[in-house]
Amino acid sequence: MNKLSYVAKNAILNMRRSPLIVFATIISVLVSSFLVFTTLSARSIVENNTIRWQNGVHVVVFLDDRVTTTAHKQLQESLESYPEVRTVEYFTKAEAEEEFKVLFKDQPELLSEVDYSTLPSSLRVNLNNPSDYQLILERMEGNPAVKEIRTSGEAIERLLNLTNTLVVSATSFAFLIGFAAFILIINTLRLAAYSKKKEIKIMRLVGASATYIRLPFIFEAVFESLIGTSIAVGLGWAVIEYSKSSVVADSIFDITISDNYLIYLTLALLLSSLMFGLIASFVGIRKVIND
Amino acid sequence: MIKLENVSLVFQGGSVALSNITTKINDAEFVYLVGHSGSGKSSLLKILYKEYEATKGDIEVAGLDVNELPKWKTPLLRRKLGIVTQEPQLLENRTAFENIAFALEVMGVDNQEIDDKTNTLLELVDIVENAYKYPNQLSGGEQTRVSIARALANNPMILLCDEPTGNLDPDLSIQIVSLLEKINRAGTTVVMATHDSSIVNRRKKRVLELSKGKLIRDEQEGNYITS
Repeated sequence: MNKLSYVAKNAILNMRRSPLIVFATIISVLVSSFLVFTTLSARSIVENNTIRWQNGVHVVVFLDDRVTTTAHKQLQESLESYPEVRTVEYFTKAEAEEEFKVLFKDQPELLSEVDYSTLPSSLRVNLNNPSDYQLILERMEGNPAVKEIRTSGEAIERLLNLTNTLVVSATSFAFLIGFAAFILIINTLRLAAYSKKKEIKIMRLVGASATYIRLPFIFEAVFESLIGTSIAVGLGWAVIEYSKSSVVADSIFDITISDNYLIYLTLALLLSSLMFGLIASFVGIRKVIND
Repeated sequence: MIKLENVSLVFQGGSVALSNITTKINDAEFVYLVGHSGSGKSSLLKILYKEYEATKGDIEVAGLDVNELPKWKTPLLRRKLGIVTQEPQLLENRTAFENIAFALEVMGVDNQEIDDKTNTLLELVDIVENAYKYPNQLSGGEQTRVSIARALANNPMILLCDEPTGNLDPDLSIQIVSLLEKINRAGTTVVMATHDSSIVNRRKKRVLELSKGKLIRDEQEGNYITS
C-alpha cells in the first residue's frame, strides 16, 4: 500500500510540475485516438450500408420497347435460369412512371416536363453474390431485347474504395499525431527524470529496484495516454449517437453499427493506449535510470 | 565478508583503475582504504556495490558473487550494503528526518516502522535536535551524519564510505569516524576510503593502501604513510 501511494504521489507531483506539457500530450493522444475511432467506425457504417444495398437490387436491365413482350418474357426466363441469379422482377412502364414520380416528387417542374412514355420497362435482378454483376453484364451483351444495363456493384465498389482511402489517410494522420504524442510523453518523462536525478541516484544506492524507480514515470505515461484515449472514445460514442438521431440518419445513409463492434474498438484502443504509455515510459527514462 | 581475488578494472580506452587486487575483509572489521587521488579507492568501492563491473577476477560481498550477479539483481546486493559518498547527496526539499525516511519509504516499509526506525537512526547519529531542518540549514558534519543514518536504514551488513570526511574540518572528521566506529562495534563491517592521514594514524585500524590501482600494503593497525 505504501509503495502504491509512493508511486501515485510521485506521478502526480511530476505532472503538476509541467501541466502544459501534460495537457498537450493528452490532447495529442485524444486527437489521434479520436481519428482512429471515428474512421474505423465510419468504415464499419459504410460496410453495413453497402451490405444492405447489396441485399437489394444489384442489376437493372432496361428493356427495349421496340422488342416484343414475348422477347422480354424469354429474357426474364433465361435470366432466372442463371445460377448466380436469385430473383428477377419485371417492372412495367407504368411502375417505372410511379417510381419516377416518387423519386422526384420534390421537383414538380421536372415531373411536368418529362415524357413518361420514354421510361422503359425493366427487369430488376437480385444476385446470390452481388459481386457477380459482371457475369450478368457479359451474358446480356449483344442481346437485342436489352436497351441498357445499370449495376449497383460499381457504385458500391467506388464507395468502398473511397471509404478505404479515407480510412488509410485518416489512420496515417492519426499515427502521425500519435507519434507526436509519443515524443511528447518521452520528453515530459525525460525532463521529470532529469529533475529527479539525485533522487533516482539515492534510490539506486539504497537498493530500490529499477522497476520501482520506473513506476511513477510509467504511471504518469499510462495515465496521460488512458485519459486522452478515454475522452476520445467518449467523444466518438457521442458523435455516433448524435449522428443516429440527426439529419444524417434521414438520408439514404443508415447509421447502423453494432454495439459489439464499438465495445471491441473501445477496448482495443484502451489496450493500445496502455501499451503506448508503457513503451513511451520505458523509452523515455531508460537513459536516466541506467546512468 | 568481502573477498576479492585477482580483481582488475580497465576502463574503455585502456586506463587501468585496478590491477590484480586480492584481499579479504572479515565480518565486523573496520578497514581504511588509503591512497592518493586516482589510486583506485573509489573504483574499488564502486566495484563492491556493482556500480562498476570488474574486468576480471572474483568478488564476493555479503555472500553474493558480485560478478555473476545479473544487473537486474544489483538492488539485492545494495540492500545488504550501506553506501556513504563524499557528497552527502541529500534531497534539498526534504528535512533530515525525511531524507533518512526516504530510504525506508522507497523500500516499501510501512509508515509506523519508518517513523520508529528513523527516530532510532537520528538518535544513533546524534542529530535528533536537527531532525526537521533542511540540508541547507545543517553543517557539513551534520549532513554527513544524515547521510550515514540513511545508509544504515536497511540494517546493512557492510558500510562502504567513500571519503565521508573529505569536506570536513579535522574535529568534525574525528566525530564522524567515532560514529563509524560505534556502528562497527555493533557488528557492521566498515570500509572507509580516505586520504586523511591524521585520522588513519590516530585510530590504528587495518589499512589497505592502493597506488595506481595496485594494492601495495595491507597492515593490521597500520599507518597512512605519506610520501
